[in-house]
Amino acid sequence: MYKRRMVAFNILRGLAAIILALAVAAIFIFLASDEPFEALKQLLIAPLVSFRGETAAFNVQSLYQILALMIPTMFTGLGVCVMFSADMFNLGGEGAVMAGGFVAALIGIYLPMPAGVHPVVAVLVGALVGGLVTLIPALLRVKVGASEMVSSLMFNYVVMYIIMHYLNNVFADRSKGSTQSFPFIETVKIPQLVTGGSRLTYGFLIALVFVVITAIFMYRTRWGYQIRMIGINSNFAKYSGMSVASTLILAQFIGGLLSGMGGAIEVLGRYNTFLWKELPGYGWTGITIAILARNNPAFVPFAAFFLAYLDRGCQLMSTHSDVPSEMIAIIQASIFLFFAAEQFLSGARQKLVVKNAKDELAAMEAETAQEGK
Amino acid sequence: MGAANETAQNIELAVDMRNISKVYPNGIAANQNVNFSVRKGEIHALIGENGAGKSTLVKMLFGMEQATEGEIFINGKEVQLTSPAQAIEHGIGMVHQHLMLVPSLTVAENMVLGMPPKKGIAIDYQAAVRMTTEIAERYHFNIDAEKRVMDIPVGMKQKIEILKALLRGAEILILDEPTAVLTSNETVELFQQLRHLRDNGFTIIFISHRLNEIKELTDRMTIMRGGRFMGVHDTAGISEQEISRLMVGRDVLLELEKDQANPQELVLSVENVSYTNEWNKLMLDNVSFDVRAGEIVGIAGVEGNGQKELVDILFGLRNAHTGEVKVNNESILGKSQRVIREMGVSLIPEDRMLYGIAATGSITDNILADRYGNKEYNAGPFFKTKKIQKDTEQLIKEYRIVARNQSQQVDMLSGGNIQKVVVAREFSSCPNLIIADQPTRGIDVGATEFIRKRLLDLSREGAAVLLVSADLSEVMEMSDRLLIFYGGEIVASFDQTSTLTDEVMGEYMLGLRRQDKKELEEDAYV
Repeated sequence: MYKRRMVAFNILRGLAAIILALAVAAIFIFLASDEPFEALKQLLIAPLVSFRGETAAFNVQSLYQILALMIPTMFTGLGVCVMFSADMFNLGGEGAVMAGGFVAALIGIYLPMPAGVHPVVAVLVGALVGGLVTLIPALLRVKVGASEMVSSLMFNYVVMYIIMHYLNNVFADRSKGSTQSFPFIETVKIPQLVTGGSRLTYGFLIALVFVVITAIFMYRTRWGYQIRMIGINSNFAKYSGMSVASTLILAQFIGGLLSGMGGAIEVLGRYNTFLWKELPGYGWTGITIAILARNNPAFVPFAAFFLAYLDRGCQLMSTHSDVPSEMIAIIQASIFLFFAAEQFLSGARQKLVVKNAKDELAAMEAETAQEGK
Repeated sequence: MGAANETAQNIELAVDMRNISKVYPNGIAANQNVNFSVRKGEIHALIGENGAGKSTLVKMLFGMEQATEGEIFINGKEVQLTSPAQAIEHGIGMVHQHLMLVPSLTVAENMVLGMPPKKGIAIDYQAAVRMTTEIAERYHFNIDAEKRVMDIPVGMKQKIEILKALLRGAEILILDEPTAVLTSNETVELFQQLRHLRDNGFTIIFISHRLNEIKELTDRMTIMRGGRFMGVHDTAGISEQEISRLMVGRDVLLELEKDQANPQELVLSVENVSYTNEWNKLMLDNVSFDVRAGEIVGIAGVEGNGQKELVDILFGLRNAHTGEVKVNNESILGKSQRVIREMGVSLIPEDRMLYGIAATGSITDNILADRYGNKEYNAGPFFKTKKIQKDTEQLIKEYRIVARNQSQQVDMLSGGNIQKVVVAREFSSCPNLIIADQPTRGIDVGATEFIRKRLLDLSREGAAVLLVSADLSEVMEMSDRLLIFYGGEIVASFDQTSTLTDEVMGEYMLGLRRQDKKELEEDAYV
């Protein structure tokens, strides 16, 4: 009874946040556009439906593109879920994505391997490097008490500039006009799942597998259990005999591992060379996803789909109408704000809690009375 | 204003709280029909043990909590106090036990926090210094307005808190256990200043549980126990014995049928443990005692006399500065909680919300906390979910935890049921030493009875039990042997509790009496 009430409440709160955010977006669209209805149609409907004259048809290629967009963000979303579950605000996912992608690219360019093995090795090593990136802020926090939020944020840029240095000065393909690496060996590329130009690769299936693995890890293993308990109350965890410091470090390492894997799969699936010249942004999206999913891995695909859909809608809106693509930043920011603000609708939640407490007491009294008879 | 116009017929009341009741959402009744009235220009003590409801009462007076029932009159007028800002408007100021100052700011800056004197849009720092110096001089407080708060001693910080309240126009000052953090010299100085303030017409509410201070300083006192009003008295007209009887006297809840203990082998031995806290205060002074299998050793005492520190040390949460603690002849000092638990020690912590539970976790999560690594619950890397659920279900039944189901969030249970979750976990791990720190504080009678019964059964089945409680009826009924703590020392020990009276207990607990060395040694060990 109680549980159903709270679940219903949380779903309603989520929907309310999305609707409010879209309403805010609509206001901006009406302000910015001469053809607001066309823009809204492009934003909300066009990602799945193509219009030719009067007829509308389901656009499967566009769906593939949305799913392809979800590949890296599902990984970063999962990574952030694990890191935030331990109540550590580690923002190093961004650096982990880029480092993972870069190292996987180097393996793809310079280390020839048999076809089946090559991508697996590249992705695993990329993941490991991603794990190291988020491990460092965690160690700084545990060993010297430095705020992991600040150090991880800064460390992203350290990682980025180290990669840029090596890309520019060591690994650049000078025959190309823009800065990029030499092309990958064919064997390392992650195969396409569908035909067409969508770049929907087997990476999508791997991401779904990792959703399941992460959910099982968090809710069905002792390590995930420790991470969650430490996140809820670290005093309790310590008193219960858990090793708080090593579990915190483990959680951050796993978070980076997942993000790094996402970066590697994205680079090897979408591109032929390594050409990121700045932080790719998937780490930030991962944070939004984790917040939307309330740190529950099972909800990550839905949150990732929602954001990818919006992303695609904004692309279409900026191509086919007069609204600039920066609109997506406003929409995402407003959703982020509505969700992240714990205060949002907290008054209603408080009422619900009090009501439940009262029900509980009444039930208890009834039971005690019965025992007395 | 002034104390002079106070005559028998015409007594002006500064504060008059009538029939105040407060029930918290979790069902704990912190105040029941309490009457509290303070005359203008007096120092009025509010006295009672921790958990007696003193803090709740003054929180309502300062607008931090709202009464469920009752009326509050300030200077004869009924008021609704829904926030501290409103209380301040009515001339009420509060000095909290935990001082609320910004350490990196100067004294003057702290003084004007929230109401800074301005020069254009900038803060007029010189004016703040001037205001601070002025008010300090007016009330003979000796402080340096330009020092940073982090560089000054605690006694000084407290003065600043008092001055802050005065600067905001307070005429009624509430001081919540102000001497808890002070050295004896600082206490003497504080008392002089409080008397001076009283003589200038201020009304002071002084919360404490230290009898000697109250006798020395206050004019009248209101005594509380268990959320109830136990009377108001002139300080001069009541003996310390009488106060202690009213304050710690017991309400007999229930009678336990207890057979004679049959102490077996030595389980816990505490040898010469001393501990000095971070403010350089000696909290434990050369404490030694034993607990054997099959017996319950009770530790009684007013809170803050070293019991908390002792329990923390026994469970490895705090490091003893000197001494030795052994469980089954093995030292526990420096060991982690996991190792201590593996040695068969379990703990019901005093603060169940802080240490005892993960509030937003499920009942299952909370039961699992000390055993999630056990072989029986793991198959390779995975939890045996079915087995975990079955055992949790069993414990919920066995400990009569009232809950919808085992995945219910623990903080949605009532206080008594939350404690039952803690107890179910701590008792079901086959401990050979149970440390129970205030195991039944603030919970309903049914749960209290249940937990006490369980604890007794476990001891009779061979567990060693150390029971720390501020609840006299609990320690006296449960304990086979009893130690009384005062000022970090064991001041009395008894090898049977049936002949003890509340009065005698109260005198030891409040430091009016102590046993000599010989008496102590006879009973501290069996």
